[in-house]
This record gives sequence, C-alpha cells and structure tokens, in this order.
Amino acid sequence: MKNLKIFLIILLIIPNLSFADNQLERNKITKNLRCLICQGQSVYDSDSDFANSMKILVDKKLEEGLSENEIYDFFKEKYGEWILYDPGLNKNTYILWLLPLLIFLLGGAIIMKKLRFKN
Amino acid sequence: MIYSVVGYYALILGLISGSILIYFSIQNFRNSEILDAKILSLSFLQLLFVVISFFGLILSFVVSDFSNETVFNNSHTTKPLFYKITGTWGNHEGSLLLWLLVLTLFIFIFLLRTNNQSIKYKTLTTIFQQIIIVGFFIFLLKTSNPFNYLFPIPEEGLGLNPILQDPALAIHPPILYLGYVGSSIIFSSALAATTLKMVSGSWATHIKKWTLVSWIFLTLGILLGSIWAYYELGWGGFWFWDPVENVSLMPWLALTTLLHCILVLEKKLILTSWVIILSIATFTLSMCGTFLVRSGILNSVHTFANDPERGLFILIFLFVLIFMSLFIFFFFHKEDQNNSINLFWLSKESAIILNNWFMMYFLSVVLIGTVYPIFLDVISSEKISVGPPFYHKLIVPFLIPFLIAMAIGPQLKWIKSNLDSKKILIFLLLVSILISYLVVKNFNKNLLVNTILISSAFYLFFITVRDFFTKKFKNVYQNIAHFGFSLLILSILFNNLLSSEVITNLKVGESYENSKIKIILEDINQTEEKNYNSVVANFKIISSNGKINKMSPELRIYNQPSIVTSEADIKTSLMKDKFIVINLVQNQEYFNVRYQDKPFMLWIWLSVLLFSMGGILSFFKKKI
Repeated sequence: MKNLKIFLIILLIIPNLSFADNQLERNKITKNLRCLICQGQSVYDSDSDFANSMKILVDKKLEEGLSENEIYDFFKEKYGEWILYDPGLNKNTYILWLLPLLIFLLGGAIIMKKLRFKN
Repeated sequence: MIYSVVGYYALILGLISGSILIYFSIQNFRNSEILDAKILSLSFLQLLFVVISFFGLILSFVVSDFSNETVFNNSHTTKPLFYKITGTWGNHEGSLLLWLLVLTLFIFIFLLRTNNQSIKYKTLTTIFQQIIIVGFFIFLLKTSNPFNYLFPIPEEGLGLNPILQDPALAIHPPILYLGYVGSSIIFSSALAATTLKMVSGSWATHIKKWTLVSWIFLTLGILLGSIWAYYELGWGGFWFWDPVENVSLMPWLALTTLLHCILVLEKKLILTSWVIILSIATFTLSMCGTFLVRSGILNSVHTFANDPERGLFILIFLFVLIFMSLFIFFFFHKEDQNNSINLFWLSKESAIILNNWFMMYFLSVVLIGTVYPIFLDVISSEKISVGPPFYHKLIVPFLIPFLIAMAIGPQLKWIKSNLDSKKILIFLLLVSILISYLVVKNFNKNLLVNTILISSAFYLFFITVRDFFTKKFKNVYQNIAHFGFSLLILSILFNNLLSSEVITNLKVGESYENSKIKIILEDINQTEEKNYNSVVANFKIISSNGKINKMSPELRIYNQPSIVTSEADIKTSLMKDKFIVINLVQNQEYFNVRYQDKPFMLWIWLSVLLFSMGGILSFFKKKI
C-alpha cells in the first residue's frame, strides 16, 4: 500500500505538459477528418490531392491561431458533419453514443436478475 | 465458353440436389432408425457440383473467356496467371460462389464426422443447412449469376482492381469465408438441438469443435486482411474501424463470446438459452456483413458492385432466417426448470459471465457504430461519419477492467474458489503500474490514461507468464490465447505511443533532414512490366546513430483499369518496421514522401498468430 500512496502522489505532482507543436496538432486534427474523395480514409492517411490541400488548409488555420474545435467547426460548416470522424454529442447522435452504454447497463441488470450470486 | 456452360448447369444441378436433400432429410427425420445413405451421397454430389462450377469459373478466368460477363468485368489478358485465378473470387459473383462452396463443404464434413449424435439431430441439421444453401443457390442464379453470356464477345476485359492483385488478398477471402460460413453449421446445429431439446453438455462438447474451427479461420482471415491493409493501402495503419472491417469483427466477437460461454454449458448445464442465442447471432452477424458489403450500402474497396436487387434479396433472406430461428427458439426452447441459477461470486462461471457481459458491450459498440450512420441517413438524410475516435472513446475505458478480469478469471475454479495467491496478484498489479508509469512518463502524452491502460495490459501479461510456470500444461491453450491477447494490446499501445513519421515533398537529388533522420532521394528507375509501368524511387535513409538503410518504394501505373497504386517499402525487424511510401504530386517533378518508424509492428501480427495458435492447439487436443 505504501508504494501505491507514493505512486499516487507522484502522479498528482506531475503536471500535464501540453504540446504546442503544430505538426502533432495537425496530425491529430487530420486524423479526425474524412477524405471526401477517398474510400474510408482520413485526410491524414490519404495522399490524394484533396487530402493534401486539406492538410495545407489545416496548417493555415492553425497558424491563424484557431483551436482544434474551431477548425472542426469550420470544416463542419463547409462540408457538413460527414467530414468529422468523431461525431459530437447532439440530437442526431444521442442514440449513437448512449445506446451502447445503455446496453451495457441493461446487460448487467439482466445478469443480476437471472442469476443469484452469493459469497 | 464451354466452361461457363458446364459451370452454369452444375449450379442448377447443385440447387436440385439441395431440394432433393431437404426432401430425403424430412423423410429420414420422420423415420429415423438409420441414417439414409442417400443423404451423405447427395451431399457429396452437391459439393461435387459446386466444385465443378467453381472450376468452370476458374478456367473461364484462366483462358480469358470474355463471353463470360464476370470474366469480362474482372479480368484482362495481360494479367499474370496467378491473379487470373485469384481474380475468380475477387468479385461479387465469384466470391458468392466460393461462399457456396464452403457451405456445401462444411455440411458434407459435418455429416461425415458426426458419429455419436442421434440421426434425428443429423437430419434436422442437414435440413436447416440446406435451407441456407438453397437460399444462396437461388440468390446466385437469380441476381448474381457468374456465368452470364455476353454477345458480341468483347476483345478485351476490363481488368481487376490493382489493389486486389496481391498475394495476401488472394488467400484472405477464402480463409475469412471458412470462418464466416463455418458459423452456419453452429447456427443449423443449434436450431436442430433446440428443436430436439438436446442442448446439453455433450452437445456443447460436440459444437465446441465447430466453434473453434470458425474462430480460428475468422481470426486468421481478419489478420490477413489487416496485414494487406498495412502494406497495400499505403497509410501504414492496420485497423481503421472501417465498416467493412467491423463487419468481420462482429461475428468474431460473437464467436469469442460463444467459445467462452460454451465452456460453462459443457460443465454445468446452465445458460442454455444464452448459448442458443449466441449461436444464432454469430451466423446472423455474418449474413448481415454479407448484406452490408454486397448491397453497396457501404462505401469501401470491398464493394464490388452496387445493385439494390441483391441487397433486397439478402435482406429478405436474412429476415426469413431470423424469423425462423426466433420461432424455433420461443416455440421449442423451455428455460431449464424454474429454480434460479445460483453462482458464487468467485468462480470460473462468474468470470466467464463477466467476459460475456463485456464482449456483448464491445459488440454493441461496433454494431451501433457501423449501422447507426446508415440508419440516420435513411430516416433524416443527414450524413455522419463514425470513425476511430468514437470506437476508442467507448471501448478503451472498458478494456481496462476487461484486461484485469481476463487475468484473474482463469485463476478461479469452477463452482466455488478462493483466491489463494492474493498477495502475488496484488504485487504483480503494483509492479505493472510502476513499470507502465516509468515507461509512459517519457512521452508526455496522456500520462494518466496511458499508464492505467498499459498497466492493465502488463498485468495480464505478467499473470499469464506466471501461469505458464505455475500451472504448467493445465489449460495451456487458454493461457496461450490470453497471453497472446495481452501481447497484442501491449504491441498496439506501444506502437501507437512510439510511432514517428516524416511527410515531405522531394525531387531527385534532394534530401530532408531533422534531428533524428536524414532522407535522401537518390534516383528513380522506370521499367515496364507485364500489365503496369513501374516507377521505383531509391532512397537512402540515415538514422541518428549513423545507420544507413536503402529503401525503394514503388509507384505502379496499371494499364487496365488505369489506376496508380503505391507499393510501400517496408523493412521489418524484430523491434520496429521502417515504412516508406511515395505518391505523385500533380504536374510536378516532386514526390510526396511519407516515412514512418513503426515499433512492434511484427509483434502485432505475431500476437494474433499466437492467440489463434491457442485455438488450434485446443482444437487438436485429446479429450481429457
């Protein structure tokens, strides 16, 4: 237990360093954008002309000082939600995000109801 | 010409023998003292017809008979012989014929090898399997005939999609299909056993072998597809949560769940309903996959042709099968007695139920993530994409308790047990956390999440390693599989954490340099191959430690159809892969160069092989 305590303390002390490196930021963003002319590839993974111009556009937006979410919003407005691989939580996606979790809870409930557990 | 005609009539004969088989099986089912020899012979005959038909199609491809529409659409005279042959199943019609071949093969083997089960059970399984087979025959003949005649006969074919011209992809479909279609036997057999009220421990033992067979082939099939995507699609990834990948993962998850749950049925005669539901679900999910891929609803390299008629047929067929199984389940299956099932918290049963609970959750994530966008598009015509971030967010947090349970579960005994070695188990957990922390803190990336995730994987790793020594050969197959899984998760996590890449544009003679690496484009060679022109770029790559590697990625400009593909050059070593791929930058003499260092790639493949090895060994083990 002592080890665990020490470990937890160390864990809390270490600050979360944030990387401001544009290259990393760009990769992260382009991985979440769909290459619209490809078949199931992200902008990051694709080398098509479309994807390459998108990469340049993302770089430009980053230089302009837009945040990650602002860039997503920019693309969403331009191309629709289809372009984002990480669909946000909104009225269209409540079921998508919450149904699996509900199923998990429901599964647990069924197990507890059908089976009797004892120590 | 002649091959197509033979192939076509063989298909019709196969359909006829299927119908006769159903008739004889019903007769035999009513009067079931001995198994009618006709059933086995007819089943063999049916298999023979499908084999003839399949060879008819292969030969049409080999001789480039363009009077056959399938050959015309998917082949070309300049294509190498090997890809003419594999092109047979590289298209919609041919792949369905292959599907049919495996269906008929499996029922024949089932009849041949099942000796210790009742005649009623064997005939009933045959009936259900033949319903599926006849359905596929009709589907093939009605909507996707591989032997359509073209007149006037075209001079030249349209060619096979070049990215499908690849050795891994040549064997990927047959292996995958053996897995998909293997689950049809589980489906038919579960329905037969339910009808006859014989879902029992001995049935569980009997069907476990079939479950293992499907599971092994499906695992290997997915592995091959993944390896192919890694080196051929040119982005260095191996899993993209693409709908078509998901479609193969869903039956895999269901099969893996079944494989665990069937052990409980074998030992304790509980969870009968659940085993039946899973058996039905596994094949239904395989069929759903076929529907999604073949109907053209999904946008992917696997979608050979978009034809609503085909989608509609499979959809109706699927509903018939689901309706039939639900009817049988609710009509014939009575929950075993009314006494509720008592379990001890600390027991192998409970651990397996926990596994099933999580597996079903993972399955529901994949299913909903794959199907929901289609659903939303239909009802509100709004298009959304569901990609890797969605799956990672919903799966990764649940993976942590799952991995820990996977380590502790096998320590428990059936019925009731005490954890004897609590101290060691806790000690190993602390060691895992400490090691992960020390490793992860060097990377400054999501420290907390990565530490927890990696430590749970390390935990499973250490415990399975310990089990190899303490348990020796007891349950060694299970341990190999779990060990392989821990290795897979660790390799994926470290691969993700340690990969680095360079993307740049270079022309001949230019170089790129950063603190870690120098990339020089020395020269390019152009050569003319049989059905494509090749451009090979020769790179010299100097790592920070002065090591020099020569790498030569290639661009292939295919003539028919005219498509450019890039062939990555990959230097695989034990600890890391070096991956380089080039692309043309339009109207310029520059190449777009993407170089990646990918640690532990080899381990990802090896660990999947390892856990399928667990399955293979378990299949061949002698009864204890």
